[in-house]
Amino acid sequence: MKKVYKVAGHKFAVVMPDNDVAWNEMRPYEPFEVEDDSDLVFTARMIDLMPDTSQKQKVTVCCTAPNMPRYDIYDWKGQWLMEIAPMLEAPIRVYIVADKSFTEAQFRVLGSLRFTINTVIMVMYAFATARKDTLLMHSSVTIKDGKGYLFLGKSGTGKSTHSQLWIDNIEGCELLNDDNPVLRIEPDGEVRVYGSPWSGKTPCYRNLDYPVGAIVDLHQAKVNEIRQQPMVQAYASMVVSCSGLRFIKEMADGLHSTIVKIINSVPCYSLDCLPNDKAAFLCYNTVTQQHGESRLAE
Amino acid sequence: MKTRKGYTLRSLGKEFVLVAEGLEAVDFSRMISMNESAAFLWRSVEDKDFEAETLVDLLLEEYDIAREVAEKDVASLLQTWKEADLIE
Repeated sequence: MKKVYKVAGHKFAVVMPDNDVAWNEMRPYEPFEVEDDSDLVFTARMIDLMPDTSQKQKVTVCCTAPNMPRYDIYDWKGQWLMEIAPMLEAPIRVYIVADKSFTEAQFRVLGSLRFTINTVIMVMYAFATARKDTLLMHSSVTIKDGKGYLFLGKSGTGKSTHSQLWIDNIEGCELLNDDNPVLRIEPDGEVRVYGSPWSGKTPCYRNLDYPVGAIVDLHQAKVNEIRQQPMVQAYASMVVSCSGLRFIKEMADGLHSTIVKIINSVPCYSLDCLPNDKAAFLCYNTVTQQHGESRLAE
Repeated sequence: MKTRKGYTLRSLGKEFVLVAEGLEAVDFSRMISMNESAAFLWRSVEDKDFEAETLVDLLLEEYDIAREVAEKDVASLLQTWKEADLIE
C-alpha cells in the first residue's frame, strides 16, 4: 500500500505492506495525507530482507551527542547505506539504502517501529529537500498573532518549556510543533514555518503554517537576558539546529544558502533564561517589539 | 605549513565563517569567524604549502599597507590560526 503525504509543500510517499502494523505509527502523518502523488521528493519503501551489503565502504559516523542517534554511513554500490542506532553506544536498529540524491529509499526495521519510521522519513525528508530552500529545524514553535516564533537549543535546554511558558502566560499563544518543524523560503522570499508529523514527545501534528516572527536560541542561565544576534552567531545557531549531512557538498551548499537567506530576513536572538514566566515575558516583549503599557512585566 | 583539511569557507555577505564540513574534520560543530582579509588569505593558501612570508606578500598585493604592518598582522593571524588548530 502506498500513501502520499505533503509537509511544507513537499510531497513524499511511504510504501509498506497492506494491513502492516507499521501503519499504526503513521497516525501523526494523517493530517498531512494527500491524494495527488505527482512530483514526489522521495519514496520510502519498507523491505523484509536487506540485500547483502558486505561490500560496503565506510564513509563516516555521525553522532551529535551521546544521547542522540548515531548514523554509520557507507557507500554501497554507488548508493548510500545508513545504519542507524538510537544512541551512540546502542546497536543498529534501522537500515536505509538510498540513491545518491535521496529520492528513493528502502528501509528495514529491526527495533521499534516508531523510531524506525520517524527516523527514515525525517532523514529522507531533510536530505531530499536540503537544496530546495527548506530546513528541518530542531526547535519548538509557538504561534502568536499570526506569526510563528522558533525556539532553538540543544536537547535538554528547555525549548518545550519555554514554549509552554508563552502558552501558559501570554494570551492567545498556541503550540505549532514541539520538536521538528520545517522552515521554508517561499518564491516571494517570505520565510514561513510549517507544522510537521515530527513533534518529539508532544503529540502536536498540525498541518498549518505561518510567517516567522523571530528565531530565538535558548541557553540555560541564572538570569534572563536577551540580545539580537550578529550575523555570524545567528548562522552558527542555525547550522547546529538543522538536519543534514554537510560532508556532502551539494547538501552543505544548499543548507548554507537557505540559512543565509533566512538570517537576512528574520530577526535572530540569543536568550539566556531561567524556566520562569519572566523569561517568557522578556522574550515576548523583545521579539514582538512591545512598547509602553503593552509590555508584560519582566 | 598547510591549512587543515575539512574546512569550508562560507560567506555571509561581508563576514566570513570557516565551517568544519568535510569528512576530515574531527569536530563538525566547529566554526571560526573571519574578517575579509583573513578570509582572503585562507582562500589563497588553502590546500597549498605556505610560509608567513607568503601571506605577507599576498597582503601587500591586495592592500595598500606598509610591509611592517602586514608582517605584524600576519604574525597575529598565524597565532590565532595555530591556537584554533587550523594549520599544521
